[in-house]
Amino acid sequence: MGRGEGVLRRRFNLTTPSLLGLPLAWLGVFFLLPIAFVALYSFDVYTLYPGAHGFTLAGWRATFHEPIYLRLFWKSVKMSLTVSAIIVLLAYPLAYYLALSGTKRKYILLLLLIAPFLTSYLLRVLAWKVILGDQGVINTFLFWTGVRSPGHPLSQLLYSRFAVMLVLGYIWLPFVALPIFVSLESLDRSLLEAASDLGASRLQAFRRVTLPLSLPGIFAAFLFVFIPTLGEFVTPSLVGGASGYMYGNQIVDLFGTGFPDWETGSVLALFLLVVVAVLTIVFSRFLQPRQVASG
Amino acid sequence: MDVALSKNGARVLRAFFVLVVVFLYAPIVILLIFSFNKSQVPAFPLSGFTFQWYRDFFENSDLRGALETSAIVASLTSVGAVLLGILASIALTRRQFRAKPLVSALLLSPLVIPYVVFGISLLLLFHTLGIGNGIPTVFIGHTVITLPYTILVLVPRLEQLDIALEEAAFDLGAGRLRTFLLITLPLILPAILSAFLIAFTTSFDEYAVASFVIGTRVTFPIYLYSALRFPSELPQVIAVAVVVLVVSLIVIVGAEVGRRVAERRFAD
Amino acid sequence: MDTEERRAERRIDRQTLLKWAAAAGGAGVVAGPSGVADAMRALSAAESGRLQVLDWAGYGNDGGQAMFAQYVKAHPNNKPQFTYMTNEADALAKIHAGLKPDLFRPYVGWVKYFATSGLVQPWDTSKISNFKHLNPFMVKAGQYNGKQYGIPEDWGFDAILYRSDTVKPKAKSWGLLYDERYKGKIAWFDDPVENFTIAGLLFGFPDPWNQTDAQLAQSQKFLISKKHLVRTIWASETELDQQFASGDVWIALAWPNDWVQMKAKKLPVVYMHPAVKKQRPIAWVGMFMLLNGTPRPDLAHAYVDAWSSKASAKWLEDNYGYGHANTQARPSSSDLLRVLDLSNPKAVTLPNAYLDRDVPRRALYAKMWEEVKAS
Repeated sequence: MGRGEGVLRRRFNLTTPSLLGLPLAWLGVFFLLPIAFVALYSFDVYTLYPGAHGFTLAGWRATFHEPIYLRLFWKSVKMSLTVSAIIVLLAYPLAYYLALSGTKRKYILLLLLIAPFLTSYLLRVLAWKVILGDQGVINTFLFWTGVRSPGHPLSQLLYSRFAVMLVLGYIWLPFVALPIFVSLESLDRSLLEAASDLGASRLQAFRRVTLPLSLPGIFAAFLFVFIPTLGEFVTPSLVGGASGYMYGNQIVDLFGTGFPDWETGSVLALFLLVVVAVLTIVFSRFLQPRQVASG
Repeated sequence: MDVALSKNGARVLRAFFVLVVVFLYAPIVILLIFSFNKSQVPAFPLSGFTFQWYRDFFENSDLRGALETSAIVASLTSVGAVLLGILASIALTRRQFRAKPLVSALLLSPLVIPYVVFGISLLLLFHTLGIGNGIPTVFIGHTVITLPYTILVLVPRLEQLDIALEEAAFDLGAGRLRTFLLITLPLILPAILSAFLIAFTTSFDEYAVASFVIGTRVTFPIYLYSALRFPSELPQVIAVAVVVLVVSLIVIVGAEVGRRVAERRFAD
Repeated sequence: MDTEERRAERRIDRQTLLKWAAAAGGAGVVAGPSGVADAMRALSAAESGRLQVLDWAGYGNDGGQAMFAQYVKAHPNNKPQFTYMTNEADALAKIHAGLKPDLFRPYVGWVKYFATSGLVQPWDTSKISNFKHLNPFMVKAGQYNGKQYGIPEDWGFDAILYRSDTVKPKAKSWGLLYDERYKGKIAWFDDPVENFTIAGLLFGFPDPWNQTDAQLAQSQKFLISKKHLVRTIWASETELDQQFASGDVWIALAWPNDWVQMKAKKLPVVYMHPAVKKQRPIAWVGMFMLLNGTPRPDLAHAYVDAWSSKASAKWLEDNYGYGHANTQARPSSSDLLRVLDLSNPKAVTLPNAYLDRDVPRRALYAKMWEEVKAS
């Protein structure tokens, strides 16, 4: 099998531009340009209502003058970090089992694991809304079996920070197993065998060989869930209540409900984007596309 | 003797795996159970078996309209994203150029943008340019989001192909386009179909970006989201949920299995 | 928008200005000629086309047909076409963005704002046959500078709804929304003005709708300190109904219809409709307003007339649980009659309730509310 990285040696170099022209133009107009607009709105170059405008940092200064939005951001960061850490920890043994236990049906099992992630996001959140309420499935089951008396449900299951983190974890767990699986699968077994020959126990081999070599996969998995959940707003709005309110909700509110404040909303959105971009660039070596090869 | 796992270790991990899979599918099963439950409110104890919610949902024209709109958007999106993806993937795998890392980063960057930021950015773009929101604007947003996925599916497959085949056709005088259409395309067809499917399902299910730029029309996720706040419609929504979830599970598993079978058959 | 901002530098983006001018047809120098042209074109042609209505969800062809059935019967060629607003600020944004409704329906607190914005024009009440049946206090609330800018339609209260079996309030007071004993069982309403005015009422400020910086800061501090008691901040009524019915929430700021809904579900609930000392409910009234430069003013009047009829009023009361300004109408539910105090024409004003009013510093209230939500 030849590697496809070769060049179809040809005369005119028009092919590359003509191939890339359309996709890049599409992204330029519909991805980069909109982001530029967010920046422009945040700097008051454009405004929602007619009125004074012109480049100014006033919006940025006003938004971050009080620590309130930064504190909300930090709250979201903490929630995302917690969720990401937990599900990476949970996903690792799953991926390990699939990759290294020698089971014959590993791809089918992997698919079984990943499939829920590829179905509807909202519907899976809905399922939890149905399950967690004070009169939801869990609580009424507890009443029915007599474990708890009606009137004393397990409150705070729904409309809480816990609910948000539980649901986010549930949503992302399947997806997170994938990069870890890929990096464990490409592990060179002979290294482990060598370690064993040299007298290492399985645990030692794991700690000294497997774990370090699968670190890129772990990092990738972590980032793949951390970055999207930072900006989450759908799950918090459905199951978060007042205490599960996250940074993403704030941005949405500033563009929608109440009194739209596009300037502040754009400032917050751009801030989030910058943080995400920095994270991505710094950790980009762990986000190799190869590690997300399909299937 | 397994160097990675002891027998007991394997057993523990297998049990853990089973537990997690049960946890993952349990809510779906619960929805399934309650979709047949007679009561308006999903709660224990169960109140009896009924098909009513499924019937109601079939007769719900708003819901059907939403499903239709989503299907239209998803179809357009998958066509657009796959076309753009093919162009980009060929460039990435068959051409050499200096800016490749940068270009590939740009092409994949929609993967990391938080949807709330992207949704807002499109809202601002269309508002400032005076473009009305509706199906075209959602189509645009969704193609941007799904383009990286199509590239991620197509690039590995293109790399897998033996380039000797293409070069042979070339040397025999076939133009670049003919080479692509007659040689490459058939070989990557399973991957293209995969890409279609991924783009379709992603677009069909996408709520965040659509909610910003859909205007007054309603896609299925948007309908769902607002229905989640209408308790009287909840049982119907559950019925829909079950149908969609089960169908998509079958489709995904079927497609993946099919793709592997097809690729193996195409293999040299 | 804040008066400060309106007085500010007018380096207006030309494109936005032209759009605004097209919609308003009357503001600013550039808008002048095109606004007049619009009006003249409208006069010369018979009113045609579908009536463009900007209204809240539930009042269009998505369930509210009974409200304008009379109009549709009389004007079958000019059936209403609906765009939906999620709130007044959303309506404002849509209009600025170029939407050209003929009429829309903000609430009483926005009458002065829109009246002074140049976006709306006063109604000719002689063209509205049902006008004489409308509650005079509400009618007055729709006036500005002696002109009738708003035609009152639906109305109701904001008051506390609570479960009588699990909640024992210390007093019939707004304080119940901040009662430490019921942590995790309280729902607030997602609206900046409501929450700050309630805090203002609690503190006894002279004008909770126009608080000073210091008062706003105090209100905000208070709200932030009490936020940990709140389970949800509801934005849509059905959301609240669901949370109440499922027992996730016991105490909420709610509308009379929510009380009716919960009673229908056989829940033991009490709607705090106090006329006790200072803790009165807040009252609101929906007002139809006529856009400036509309090509279909007569049709708009006819539409409003249909809305103001006794039949529509009764339908509204029976189905949506709101009061209607038409004093002849009576709902079928005696519960609703009681909780709305419908036999009292002064139900929405002092001494019975605080009628919602113009909030000059609305943008600031909004900003501070966002900060409360973020805390």
